[in-house]
Amino acid sequence: MSANRVAAAAVIAVAAALFALTFGFEKMPEGLSGGFGAEAFPRLVLGVIAALAVLLFVPGAQSEPQARIPAVVYYTAGSLLAFMALVPVAGMLGAMFVFLLGLGALWGERRAWLLLVASAAVMAAIWGVFVRGFAIQLPPGFWS
Amino acid sequence: MEAFLGGMALLLDPKILLVVFAGTLLGIVVGALPGISGSTTTALLLPFTITMGPVPAIAFLGAIYCAANFGGSITAILVNSPGDPSASATAFDGYPMALKGEAGRALGMSAVASAIGGIFSVVVLIFAAPLLARMAYSFGPPEYFALAVFGLSMVALSGGDSAVKNLIAGAFGVMLATVGQDITTGVERYTFGVYSFTDGIEFIPVLIGLFALTELLEQAAQLGKRTALAKLGAVRLPSWADVRKCGKAISLSSVLGTFIGVLPALGATTAAMIAYVETKRWSNNKQEFGKGAIEGVAGPEAANNAAVGGAMVPTLALGIPGSTTTAIILAGLLVQGVRPGPHLFTEQPMLLYAVFSSMLLANLLYLALGLGFAKLFARITLIPPQFLWPAVFVLSVIGAYAPNQAMAEVWVAIAFGFIGFFMRRFGFSPAPLVIGLVLGKLVEETLKQSLIIFDLSWGGFLGRPIALTLFGLTALFLLAPWALQRLRARP
Repeated sequence: MSANRVAAAAVIAVAAALFALTFGFEKMPEGLSGGFGAEAFPRLVLGVIAALAVLLFVPGAQSEPQARIPAVVYYTAGSLLAFMALVPVAGMLGAMFVFLLGLGALWGERRAWLLLVASAAVMAAIWGVFVRGFAIQLPPGFWS
Repeated sequence: MEAFLGGMALLLDPKILLVVFAGTLLGIVVGALPGISGSTTTALLLPFTITMGPVPAIAFLGAIYCAANFGGSITAILVNSPGDPSASATAFDGYPMALKGEAGRALGMSAVASAIGGIFSVVVLIFAAPLLARMAYSFGPPEYFALAVFGLSMVALSGGDSAVKNLIAGAFGVMLATVGQDITTGVERYTFGVYSFTDGIEFIPVLIGLFALTELLEQAAQLGKRTALAKLGAVRLPSWADVRKCGKAISLSSVLGTFIGVLPALGATTAAMIAYVETKRWSNNKQEFGKGAIEGVAGPEAANNAAVGGAMVPTLALGIPGSTTTAIILAGLLVQGVRPGPHLFTEQPMLLYAVFSSMLLANLLYLALGLGFAKLFARITLIPPQFLWPAVFVLSVIGAYAPNQAMAEVWVAIAFGFIGFFMRRFGFSPAPLVIGLVLGKLVEETLKQSLIIFDLSWGGFLGRPIALTLFGLTALFLLAPWALQRLRARP
C-alpha cells in the first residue's frame, strides 16, 4: 500500500476513534446547549477530516516510497524517554546533564573532555539564567 | 497620531531597545543555523516572554521574526543550505555567486533588499492594519466564522506535500482546540481525566514539540551530512550598478511579498518562491538565473522580509494569523491575555504602534548587523550538531516546563515531537496544525454564536453578504488549483 494510503487509513482510524469518544461526553439539556451540544462541533470537524482522508486515499497511489528511518532516530527518541524516566531520580538538572553527555556521545562525539566541558557550560547557563535569574523551581530528584 | 508618537517614544525606553536588539541578534543567529527556523525560535522562546509584559514580548518575537528571514540567507548563500525555509529561493543564485567568489556582494545585496522589503511592508502594516480593523469593526460572529474558515482553507496552499494533507493537518489542529471544557455547556471533551487538560491544550508545549523536538529527530536522521563554508570575503554595500539592476526586482518583490503575507496562512517561503519566479519573468537577464544572478538574490530576499509585515496585518487587525510564525506570535499574545482584532486598535493603540516601531527598528538593526558581522554569523553554522541539538532539547524542556512548572507539559511537548516527526515522514506539514490550533476556538465560538443568531438555521449565512463573499473566496481558493489541473490535463 502506498504511503498516502497508509496515512489516509491512519487518519480515518484516528478520526473514527475520536468520533466514538464523543458518545461518552456528558449529556446536557437542550436548553443549556442551545441545540448545538458539546459533541456537535468535534463531530462536524471529524466528518470533514474523514472526507478529506477519503480524497487522499482514492487517488493516493502516487507517492514516494518511504526511506528507512535510521536507527539513530530510534535511539534519539529513546533518549528523550530515558530523560523523562531519569528526572524523578536525578532531578531535572541532573537528568539534563546526563542527557547532554549521552546524546552528544550517541551522535558521534568521542572527545569526552569536550563533551564534559560543553555540557557543563550549558548546565551553568541553564542554572544561571533560569534557576537563579527567573527563579524557576525545577523538579528535584530522589537523591537531591 | 498621539498613539503613533507614543508608540515611537517607547523606542526610547532602554528596555525595549535592548529587547529589540537581542531579538534581532538572536533572529540572525538562529536564522543562520540550518534546522532552527524563526518559527522554531519563537516557539522555543515564547514561554520566556510571559514575564516580559505584552509590549516587550511582541517586540522581541517580532524582531526575531524579522531578522530570522535575513539570517537564513547567510547560510543559503554560503553553504547552499538555507537556515530558514524562507531563504530557499535565495540559494538558487546566492550559492552560485558564492562559488564565483562573490559571496560578499550577494550578502550585501541580501541585507539591503531584505531591509527595503521589510521596511516597505511595515509601512503598509501601519496604514493597512487600522483600515482593515475599521472594516472588520462591523463584523459579527457569522463574518468572523467565515473569515476563520477562509483562513483555515488557505493552509491548503501553504506548501508541504499536498493541499489535502495540509487541510487534514489544519482540521486536526481545530480538533486539538476542542480539548477541554466546552465553552457553552462546560462539558469536558477529550481530557482523559488529566486535570491540566480541563482548560484546553496549552499552546506552548505543542509548539515546542512540533517545531523544536520534531526538528531534533529530523536532525538525527541527517547526521553525517557535512557542510562546507564558501569563501566569504568582505561584505559590502551594493554598487550603484547593482542597485539599478535590482531596483525593479526589489520593488516588484516588496509589493508581491507584502500582498502574499497579508493572505492568511501564506508566509515568507511562498512569497520568496513566487517572487523568484516573477523576478526571473520580468528580468532582462533571464539566462543568468540559476548561475549567480544578483537579481535572483534581491527578489526573494525583498519578498520574504516584506511578507513579515504583510503577515502581521491580518494577525493584528483580525486575529487571523498570516503565517506560521505569526500564529505563534498570536498564541503569545493570547497567553499574555491580549486578543488581537479590531478592538485592539481602539483599546490598546500604544501596543500596536510599539509593535510597528520595533519592527521598523529591527529591520534597520539587521541591516547594520548583517553588513557588519555576516562573517561572524556564518561561523555559527560550524557548531557541530552533537553539541547544538542536545542543548536545544534542554532549552525545549525548560520552555515547556516553565510556564506552569508541570512535567505533564514536558510530556505533551515530547509527544508532539514524535507526532510532528511522523507527520513530516508522511508528507504532512506541522504548520497547518498550528494554524488550526490557534484558530480552532474562534471557529467553534463564532459558529455557535452564529447558529444562535440564526435560530439554528445554517441558511442564516445566506443573508450575510460579507460571510457569503468569504465562503465564495474559500471555495475559489480550494477548487481553483484542482480545476486548473483538470483543464490542463485535457487533451
